[in-house]
Order: sequence, then structure tokens, then C-alpha cells
Amino acid sequence: MTESVFSGKIWVLLDQKGRLIEDIDTDQIYHNAFLHITDISQMGQHALGNLEGWKDFPQKVRPEDILVAGRNFGAGSSRQQAVDCFISLKVGLILAPSFGAIYFRNAVNSGFPVLKCPELDELVAKQILETGDEIKVDLRSSEGSNISKKTPFPVEPMSAVQYDIHQAGSLFSYGKESAG
Amino acid sequence: MGKTFSEKILGLKAGREVQAGEVVTVSPDRILSHDNSAAIIKEFKKLGVKSVKAPQKLVIILDHIVPASSEKYASNHKTIREFVAEQNIPNFFDVPNGICHQVFSENGFALPGKLILGADSHTTSYGAFGAFSAGIGRSEVASLWAVDETWLRVPETIRIEINGKLPSGVYAKDVILKIIGDEGADRANYKAVEFTGEAVKKFSLASRLVLTNMAAEMGAKNGYCEPDEKTIQWLGDRAKDDFNVVTSDPDAVFEAVLKHDIFSLEPQVACPHTVDNVKPISEVEGTGFHQALIGTCTNGRLEDLEVAAGILKGKKVHPQVRVLVIPASRQEYLKALKKGIIEILAEAGCIILNPGCGPCLGAHQGVLAPGEVALSTANRNFRGRMGSRESEIYLASPATVAASSIEGKIEDPRKFL
Repeated sequence: MTESVFSGKIWVLLDQKGRLIEDIDTDQIYHNAFLHITDISQMGQHALGNLEGWKDFPQKVRPEDILVAGRNFGAGSSRQQAVDCFISLKVGLILAPSFGAIYFRNAVNSGFPVLKCPELDELVAKQILETGDEIKVDLRSSEGSNISKKTPFPVEPMSAVQYDIHQAGSLFSYGKESAG
Repeated sequence: MGKTFSEKILGLKAGREVQAGEVVTVSPDRILSHDNSAAIIKEFKKLGVKSVKAPQKLVIILDHIVPASSEKYASNHKTIREFVAEQNIPNFFDVPNGICHQVFSENGFALPGKLILGADSHTTSYGAFGAFSAGIGRSEVASLWAVDETWLRVPETIRIEINGKLPSGVYAKDVILKIIGDEGADRANYKAVEFTGEAVKKFSLASRLVLTNMAAEMGAKNGYCEPDEKTIQWLGDRAKDDFNVVTSDPDAVFEAVLKHDIFSLEPQVACPHTVDNVKPISEVEGTGFHQALIGTCTNGRLEDLEVAAGILKGKKVHPQVRVLVIPASRQEYLKALKKGIIEILAEAGCIILNPGCGPCLGAHQGVLAPGEVALSTANRNFRGRMGSRESEIYLASPATVAASSIEGKIEDPRKFL
């Protein structure tokens, strides 16, 4: 069993005007110049390398940190490097109001936790969630809480299949368990 | 209560009645991968499984960086060739063949009523033939190679009714750009999108492929056009397997029915840096650019090259722009060659490249420098996609790209008809 409660320090992906960046596509998350890399451990250094203002993210982020992004995060390509680069950096979790469909699926199948938080824009606008805050999220119960500010906030719980794959560790181990 | 196409096909595969929102375990009819097979092989080997469970289902097509542009890409291709031989994978298409979605279609793997999963986001294309086809990631493909089963959430369906007749100089590309511009890049996130209406019925299969290919740019799980006489005729002796046409019931429950009339549509252009940043040509006319691209899985077929040649015939490409032409596949290349289309384009000053993805994903064959602008018939204009992150991409129809190539700035193709 993997932990189902995550806590960590958040990085809120804001633009220069202080708004949550929307439609961050897979090309911005992981540039095509590095698609030939097949070793996950080498992918982290390129995470968000093509996103204005966030190129130094791989140097700043620490294991178990949590990424907070805008609507439609991971739109576009099916390149899994865009998920793997965060696994490589040991990012704990990504929160966004919505995700690109294939991106979300890739994360689910890799056992990497991605959670939808429809009210994220408001939470960020009201500064209930700010970079550096320590938050806690329960993958099952739809409860999030900002430990630093002692404020609760709602997240969408994982679906059964997403949770089971996460617990199994990956799609393949999940498949083996269901078959067994 | 009736069922949608997606509910029916996933129900058939799951062996029970299903409704949108349910999660099913299914085994696909075909599993597509391209150059990323190298990374998939690496993941597959980590799973500790010796043999691919259903090698006859795999279709591997090299298209992204063909021929290899560097030692790393060459090694990836070599890894794939060795794996194909070792695992006895019958359907392997090496570098001469063209873009996976075109090669997959013209070789009769894309069939009505089939479930196709592919390691490429534009796998949605095969819905043009009435298949349920969706893009997936690398580890999922590796897992499918090993166990031949995966989970799918049955998508809700958005039906898009396209009515009216295409005005002269306006094409399927303009229609889909207008729809994406109006509806937004995530309107169909994880939904099925069915394209219907009198306009779609009149479209060639090549034009229907433009719609389903770009359904991915609305976030769609899959795109779909109901198969008709034209589909069956197109498939003719190409079809690799028997198939059954599956269609939505008249009383199926759709999440939304969106109506788009194209009677007075003008050519459309998607401006940097999102596909839904769409403007009518009148608002972007005169915008300068450095490189044009006519090709890709969206618009590199014979009918696209034919339209471009119709405009460029006897004309010259503007000296300040470079125009790349990349037929979508070797078959389309040969057809265009035999019809004299390639000659017209080469005479006009276009650079004819070998079938493949070319610079669409920024890896080779015409990468953009900082400050450069491209006008392309592709499906994506994300920042930095074709090279430098300081470059820009505009998307349009082959006619608009051809007309603009003569002028050296974005131009309304209707002036050349």
C-alpha cells in the first residue's frame, strides 16, 4: 500500500501578472528537443524548461513538493516525458482544475497522483494557496488543507480505478493483481 | 434508451451493456506506436515479460525522425528493428513509408467498429473510418504489449452538426479551426466527438480525417464520423480484417449537440500559441512569416497537395520565404508525382521532403530560429513546437499556406481561385 495522504510544499505556477497559467501544453512542460531521452532519471532537468518564468524549476523543486497548475494542464501530445519529468524530480502530486485527457491518463497509469481541484483559480486568487505553503491532501476523501494557513479546501477524490492503480504502483502491476 | 457509438463499441469489447462514465476493461484490436517504440521497448523490458502477448495486433511505423537525424535517433530506430525481428511483429513500416496515421489508414488497419489505441495523441484520426481510436502513453502501450488489456472510461459524447456547403477557397481545415476557436481547446476533454451533418457527408475521407485528427486539439478522447458508402468504397480491398459498422442510435443521449453552419465561413487561421486562438483570415492578412509547411498528418494528402499545386502552378514562392512540402506517405507522394503535382510545387520553388512528420514537432528538417514565424498546415502551434521557444506558428489550410507562400505574407486564398 502506498500512502494516501500527501503533504508537501507547493509551487503555484503563476504568470508575470500573478495569475494561474492555463493551457500549459506538453511542449511547454517537456520540449521536443529532449524526446530522444529514454532514461527517466535524465528527464527531470528539462521539466517546465519551455515555460516562461519557470525554467529554473528543476533546480528549485525538492522531493515531495506539490505542483499547482491552471486549467487544462498537459494539453496536447501523448509524450509521457511530460509526466515522467516530474516523477524524475520526485514531485509528490499535481493539482489543477483540469488536465489534458491523455496527460491525466498517463499520470494515472504511471501511478503518479494528479488531482482535480475545480476551485483552484479562486483559491489562488484569494491567496489561500501560495507558493511555499505546506499543504496536505487526502487522495480518497476529497479533503485538502493548507497546513501553513490552517485553511481547508476541497479536491475531487480519485476515481476507484485511479486509486487502485496508484496503490498497485503502475498499470502493469494493477493488471497483474486484477488477473491474479 | 439508445446508445452512442462509444457506448456500443466499448460495450461490445467489454462483453456487457455500458453507459458513459463507466470504466471497462478491454482488449484493443490494434496497438499503434512510432519512433517512441524505443522508449516503450525499454519499459516493456522492465516489466519482466519475455514476449509480446499479441504481436499480430501491433503496428509499428517509423515517422517522427525519418531518416534518423542523429546517432541517438538512429540507435532508437535500430533498437526497434531488432525488437520487431525478435518478437515476430508482422506489421512494421520502416522509414520510407510516411506518417503513422496515413500509413495505418491506407494499409487498412483503420476500420469501422474497431478499437484502436496508439502512442500518439492524433490517434483520434481513425474515427474518420468509424473506429474508436484514442491516444495513450508509453507505459500503457508497454503494458498492453505485455497483457493485451487495459481500462477505459466510457466517454460522454458531444455531437457536432456541420451544416451547409463549403464556400469556394474554404476547406475542412477551416471548418475544424473555426469549431476549435469557438468551443475552446478543452471543450471536449475526455469526451467523444461525433462529426455529423450534411457537410461531413459530402467530405472526402481525407477531409474527414482532418476533423478527427484535430478532435485531439479540443481535448477529445476520440473523434468519429459515421461510415457511409464512401467509407466502404475507400476501404475496398485495403481492409486488413472483416469489420462491422457501429453507429449511434437516433435516441442516444449526447452530452451536447453543437451546431455549426459553414455557409458563409471564410478561411481561418490559428494564431500563436494555442490552437483555439483562431481568427478569420481578414484579421491576420499581411502577417509576415519565414517558413511555410504543407504536409503533416492533418493536411499532407493528395487532395491537399493538389489544392496547393492549383494555386502555385506557374507562380513562384516569394524569395523571402522557404516552403517545405512533405507528402503524408509514400503512396500519396507517388500519386502526386504521377499527377505532375510534385513537379508544379518544385517548379514553384518548394522544397520537397521525404514523407514523415518533418519539422512539425521541431526535431529536424526545418527547425525555426528565435524570432522566426512559420505558417503551417499542421494541427498544433504550441510555443516552441517547431524549434526555438522564441518562434511563432500560425495554422491554416493548404490553400491559405500556398497563397501566402506566393505573397510572402498571410494571404486570402480566395484571391487565387
